[in-house]
Amino acid sequence: MIGNDIVDLIQASEDSNWKRPGYLEKLFTSEEQFLISSDIQPDNLVWLLWSMKESAYKISSRKSKLREFAPVKLICNNLIIHDNTATGNVTYNGQLYFTSSIIDKSYIHTIAALSQEELASIKVEIIETKDHQIRINNPDCVSHHGSFLALVYA
Amino acid sequence: MSMHVLYLRNIKTTKMSNEELIAKLKPIVANYAQDKEALEKINPQTDFINDLKINSANLVDVVLDVEEEFDIVVDNESMEKMLNVQAAMEIIAAKLAEKE
Repeated sequence: MIGNDIVDLIQASEDSNWKRPGYLEKLFTSEEQFLISSDIQPDNLVWLLWSMKESAYKISSRKSKLREFAPVKLICNNLIIHDNTATGNVTYNGQLYFTSSIIDKSYIHTIAALSQEELASIKVEIIETKDHQIRINNPDCVSHHGSFLALVYA
Repeated sequence: MSMHVLYLRNIKTTKMSNEELIAKLKPIVANYAQDKEALEKINPQTDFINDLKINSANLVDVVLDVEEEFDIVVDNESMEKMLNVQAAMEIIAAKLAEKE
């Protein structure tokens, strides 16, 4: 099973003020908050961590059919950030998820899977469009935000 | 057999009714709801994400606004369930009752 999440960085900056008092505390663990506060690009790190959590949550909620809004229970770990990519883990309710992210100047896209092998075989299609209904070749997971639509295939 | 009836009609209560709670919730979620038609038809069954199309990152703003509006603290355990109007009303009512 795979999951994905895309964040349109312009849309996010318009829709969310993560500097609002109390905001980060409700979304991130204290370690994650520390990472954000010590990064030179805190905006990108906020949305990178958020997309990691969302992509893992999508796998979990489809498997269990249970919904909850518990972002602090989705714990990001082992984050390695290169120039335009990042890899990491998310743990949630005892399950480990592997993630891989692309950090573009206008979006951040994260894919998640239950194993490294599964993660490595994911095919990604990112389309710049406001039409969020487009589907090509039965994607296994879909994410849209702002001007971007991301389709992933196992 | 006689029938026992308990009349509660004239008891004054400080509890907010569901209608009052929804009336206070509506302008809060209106700031983030992308589906304005669903917003007009808001009712206890309305789902914040599936119906109102609130972005999940904005659910936190809904929770923070609710905290400010009702002067309560929504702990993480309560926030987990705050996915629809009914759950939000129950959480607000419980937190208001704790304050009394």
